[in-house]
Amino acid sequence: MNKFILSKKLYRNDLATFYSFLIGFLIAIIVGSIILLIQSKNPFDVFSLMLKLSIGSVNSLSNSLNKAIPLILAGLGISIINSVKLWNIGAEGQIFFGAIALNFVYINTSIENSYLYIFLLLASGFIGGSVCILLPALSKVLFGVNEIITTLLTNYIVFGLTIYLINGVWKDPNSLNFPAAAYVSESVYLPTLFGKLSSGFLICILFTLIAYYIKDKSVFGYEMRIAGGSAQTAIYAGISAKQKAFTAMLIGGGFAGLAGAIELLSQTHRVSTGISQGFGYTAIIVAAITGMRPLGIFLVGSLFGALAIGGSVIQTIGVSSYISEIIQATTLFGALISQFFFSYEIKRVEDD
Amino acid sequence: MKNPILEAKGISKSFGSIKALDDVDFFLEKGKIHGLLGENGAGKSSLMNILSGIYVPEKGTLTISGHLIKRLNPDLASSYGIGMVHQEFRLIDSFSIKDNLTLSKSNIYQNNFNDAFSKYSDIFALNLNAMTPVSELSVGEKQKVEIMKLIFNNSSIMLLDEPTAVLTPQETIQLKVSLETLSQEDEKTIVLITHKLKEIKDFTEIIYVMKNGKMVAKELDTKTVSDTQLIELMMGEVKTSIFNKNNFKGDIKLEARDISFTNEQNIKTLQNVSLEIKSGEVLGIAGVSGNGQVELANIICGIIKDFEGKVIVKTTDVSGKGVKSRKKLNVSYIPENRLGVGLAPGVSVLDNSAIKEYFQASFGPHLSKNVLLNSLNDLINKFSIKAPDVKAEISTLSGGNMQKLLMGRELISNPDVIIAAQPTRGLDVSAVNSIHNLIIDQRDKGSAILLISEDLDELFKLSDRLLVMYEGKVVTEIETELATVENIGLAMAGINE
Repeated sequence: MNKFILSKKLYRNDLATFYSFLIGFLIAIIVGSIILLIQSKNPFDVFSLMLKLSIGSVNSLSNSLNKAIPLILAGLGISIINSVKLWNIGAEGQIFFGAIALNFVYINTSIENSYLYIFLLLASGFIGGSVCILLPALSKVLFGVNEIITTLLTNYIVFGLTIYLINGVWKDPNSLNFPAAAYVSESVYLPTLFGKLSSGFLICILFTLIAYYIKDKSVFGYEMRIAGGSAQTAIYAGISAKQKAFTAMLIGGGFAGLAGAIELLSQTHRVSTGISQGFGYTAIIVAAITGMRPLGIFLVGSLFGALAIGGSVIQTIGVSSYISEIIQATTLFGALISQFFFSYEIKRVEDD
Repeated sequence: MKNPILEAKGISKSFGSIKALDDVDFFLEKGKIHGLLGENGAGKSSLMNILSGIYVPEKGTLTISGHLIKRLNPDLASSYGIGMVHQEFRLIDSFSIKDNLTLSKSNIYQNNFNDAFSKYSDIFALNLNAMTPVSELSVGEKQKVEIMKLIFNNSSIMLLDEPTAVLTPQETIQLKVSLETLSQEDEKTIVLITHKLKEIKDFTEIIYVMKNGKMVAKELDTKTVSDTQLIELMMGEVKTSIFNKNNFKGDIKLEARDISFTNEQNIKTLQNVSLEIKSGEVLGIAGVSGNGQVELANIICGIIKDFEGKVIVKTTDVSGKGVKSRKKLNVSYIPENRLGVGLAPGVSVLDNSAIKEYFQASFGPHLSKNVLLNSLNDLINKFSIKAPDVKAEISTLSGGNMQKLLMGRELISNPDVIIAAQPTRGLDVSAVNSIHNLIIDQRDKGSAILLISEDLDELFKLSDRLLVMYEGKVVTEIETELATVENIGLAMAGINE
């Protein structure tokens, strides 16, 4: 008698991850089409409009890429932390805290040279992100508290802090009762490259390469992989798994904090609840779909930026912007499910 | 046999090319305490797993209480009253003692739990409320609950796999009393699996001895059998050395002075251990596992830092310094636990191949995949390792190839000092031979080698000198030429002539 068993493949290569993403995306488009059909909209019309208005012109393309910046940066941060097999659910809070840290430094300092000032402000955003994850990181390495819970809870604390600041001490008297902090001076806006594309995108490219280097080429990345694989082996190899976990969390948090800083300096120009529209959560999807590969995060992050722009513009023809969120979420589902099929193969075994 | 409750005849079981059990007979007498003695890897656990229905044997018959069993499974085994306590506890930590005891559908004290619980609490000297969550229990108390679980599930045949490994000496004495009561009052048939000679003599009435998958002695009467006999049975015949021992010995490369260590459970696992090894010399450490060998190796290699005494590599005192201080002096460590310590599970073959030297200048400032790949290919060629795909997880390698990768990684730099713990455990004959050749090769290149092993054959074959450890102390030190299997074996059992 023959039996069929699921057997795990030797490993999942880059190509399999790419295929599973494509399959997931295809499933998402089909699911999105069905939902549109139920609403008696022509999916082809809606999707071609989305495509046109998200990448059809220089302006729309630059809008899409601007949206991609925080997704990519926060996604990279999540992938660095995942090198030690830890999950950062707190990117959303770190994005906000990066913006808050930036504004704090902005209020209390003044530098003539605007490039130097921008650099200082971006650095304070990065450090803000690290500070935001400090408590989860410390409680992880000192007491073994589950980082998924603590990073998630930090989001609520930081969001509460943001609301407090923009309704209280930082509230801009000129904002006509809209809760927001005062605008930063135009001299520290990030310059645009072409169209509306923020020069933050260059920073984003730079940090993609940095993340790739850290994860795949550096001694630190190697030590993170060993520590993530087996704590016992790490001790044997003379690697402090706790130190690696701590450092990885601070760096990863910093990436998300930088995203908040870029968002402030190039989009909102002030601290408000609009600093992030769930970028930190979408970034988890982006990172997970790509199997935590930095270059993949760059590509999928860009696509998801375009989806977000496409989703917001189709509202003009009476289609809910939720359609793009459905596509993002279904892509993850589809990709994860097809990753399963790429990781396993069905084998026939002889039964004895 | 007066009253056989279980008879296993001609049981054979293979895993891949390794014969775990070869034509094994095993009989249990009702109401008696049986001992099953053997080294690690002798086949004790495989036999127990067959009796409890987890493994299906390839050959052999099984008769329980007069019924011939065609194909046993865990459910059927428990309905015939066979229960097993595994080395790793199978309790649900967040449940209370009571919930754990009454969890199984075969439990018989659902209605009169309190009476039964107080009766067996007395027998086991367990002073706990039945509602206490298991997570609050000490290891010894968990052990008691595990054994009680068998009683509550109406097991009449209780298989206990190394139950004393986790117990303090006082708890061990208590366990002995409890088991005697159970066998006498409740007529429970008990099997105690162990590699500790002293316990098997203390606890049991009938002894079985296994060696290399074979049952080498059956139904020995504990009262009449001598320690020497048991040691000889357990160790087997030792072949004469085939390696040339005229090796040149140079300067002292490794020295440990007066090492003492007290572990986290406050047990003194090492007491004033001293040793020295010259270049080109193999020092063998014999001893039943758990007598301080792992701690000694970890201290020499810098994993344990809070010990008393001194470790000197070549002329440098490295006591109190970490793992990397040893690596920089070219000390290699082949740990006992291959997959889990020496190799990181879930991590690729490629990454695992660089664990020893990844931080050294030879790997450059950037650990690129190409640099790693070149050094791995070097290993694969030199040590003829079969790796289907180097980017795949390490567990895709066979046991022998894993050990070759680990040995190769540790030996390729021609180390000054090598600590090898149980380097051939669980490997097949050809893999064992190639590992032995590697060790001798390295000896002739001038390494000082510390070989920790339970396999006397291996120790006699490779070592120039032998140390015997027992309860954290060096009890014998002797040139291999002058040593005999008997005196080493007796020293391993803590018996002084």
